Amino acid sequence: MGNAKVLELHGLTKHFGGVRAVDGVDLTVASGEILGLIGPNGSGKSTIVNLICGLFPLTAGRVLFGGADISELPPHTRVALGITRTFQNIRLFGQLTVWQNLWVAQNSGEQRKQNFLPRWLGGSKGARAEIDRMLEFFDLGHKRDELAGNLAFGEQRRLEFARALAARPALLLLDEPAAGMNAEEIEQLDSRIRKMRQNGVTVLLIEHHMELVMSVADRIAVLNFGQKIAEGTASAVQSNPVVRDAYLGTTTGA
Amino acid sequence: MIDLVQNTIDGVMIGSSYGLLALGFTLIFGVMRRLNLSYGPSIMIGGYVGTVLYVQYGAGPLAVAGTMILGAAIAGIYVERLCFAPMRMGAGIASMVSSFAIWMQLEQAAILVLPRHTYPFPPLTTGAPLEWGPFLLRLDHLIMLGCALGLTAAIQFALYRTRFGLALRAIIGNPVAAHLVGINVSVAVMLAFAAASAIGGVAGFLVLSVDQQVTPMFGMWATLKGLIAMMIGGLGSIPGAILGGLLLGVVEAHCQWYFGPQIRDLAAYIVLFVFLLVHPGGLLGRAPGSDIAAPRTP
Repeated sequence: MGNAKVLELHGLTKHFGGVRAVDGVDLTVASGEILGLIGPNGSGKSTIVNLICGLFPLTAGRVLFGGADISELPPHTRVALGITRTFQNIRLFGQLTVWQNLWVAQNSGEQRKQNFLPRWLGGSKGARAEIDRMLEFFDLGHKRDELAGNLAFGEQRRLEFARALAARPALLLLDEPAAGMNAEEIEQLDSRIRKMRQNGVTVLLIEHHMELVMSVADRIAVLNFGQKIAEGTASAVQSNPVVRDAYLGTTTGA
Repeated sequence: MIDLVQNTIDGVMIGSSYGLLALGFTLIFGVMRRLNLSYGPSIMIGGYVGTVLYVQYGAGPLAVAGTMILGAAIAGIYVERLCFAPMRMGAGIASMVSSFAIWMQLEQAAILVLPRHTYPFPPLTTGAPLEWGPFLLRLDHLIMLGCALGLTAAIQFALYRTRFGLALRAIIGNPVAAHLVGINVSVAVMLAFAAASAIGGVAGFLVLSVDQQVTPMFGMWATLKGLIAMMIGGLGSIPGAILGGLLLGVVEAHCQWYFGPQIRDLAAYIVLFVFLLVHPGGLLGRAPGSDIAAPRTP
């Protein structure tokens, strides 16, 4: 990439009618960083993820990826550039097998080097071998040929994660990956996120589970009512009075 | 007895063309859950391009076949861009109604450009039919059956074993997620429409080369036969489309023999009526409301 900044948001704004879901957010994610994005419910976290991957158009502002403006690009082009994501409410392809879910999602990295026809008929051999490695990494190797719709909840969460990684992204957006997980699963999630970073993936982590965010994130940004109210290390954010007020619902100086 | 067998053979052969028409329909209706009434007229446009090539330039059957299939595919893309692309995520009824409008448009365009009602179409094979014991087999009918079986296997393979087919099924199950994992949904659906129309083009070429003529009404004929065969075979089932076509062909052939040609088309509707009453899922279809693409999303 050559650029230390993988993702830059400049004055990111999204209004739904009169609702200012995201209101002028500036945010930078450095290469190889794990940035935690937290905030109370409805503070605009998921909307930011949706804007970064291009689900709906911006009201104002710009999204830069690797220094290039991607604000106007459609979602599939952003994936091809190397931005993938998981979903807060799982969105797998239930009628495809576990293996096939990863196969159709390989839309950046290795698979892109192929021409159109071979890519969409059989895909590259290297890419297929990578799927098996990915399934092993997420402990899903034995479920390879099962329909994704028949998996247990925890397995589906892991498969979503694997699917987002199958495309070999440069930037991974995790939208509440720990939702509904038990303590043991969260611990595994923690170590997998760290391992991914070692492999050079930059992570934007949106999470309600504070222990996970505080443990894994290098820096944390806090949103409230669509605006960024704090940014810094875990301890700095935790001791910030503005953040406390946002979470505890009191007003400063009251 | 000989008549009975010969009629069954003829029915199977003609039925394989219905099956091919149903195959293209199934790709759009069963898989994409969209009813494209302009399916037949797109094929008819391909046929008109073919007849121009034949009449004006004396092109041979293979060249005519190629241009007809290509013409049908382009007409299919035209219909998809106009009627289906603008309302991808919902409003299936709106797409169907606008595809009816394009049907009328294509039919009138064909009449405007070539105002005589019928135009000649080149035969695929000439010469006496093959004899097999007391029975007669027409070579072009055998080609029809071969194409039907081959294309069915090819489509089944494509939908279940290639990345493109899996991407299509992913789009049906969860269009937003498919887009967000990097599938270009718009292009994929457009290609699916083109493929369906191209299959229809193969069917249309084989039928027209047996009839040796093309009329503007061919579009309606192709839409109706394909639709009926698909519904008998079972919505959304690829092998069902071919089976439905064969059954329809056999029933029609026998009815024509026993009751005369006027009853032939009536028989098709009676078979459809009986199926809808007794077994609405069709031969290989599952219970109404589910199909091969039925999402079992968690």
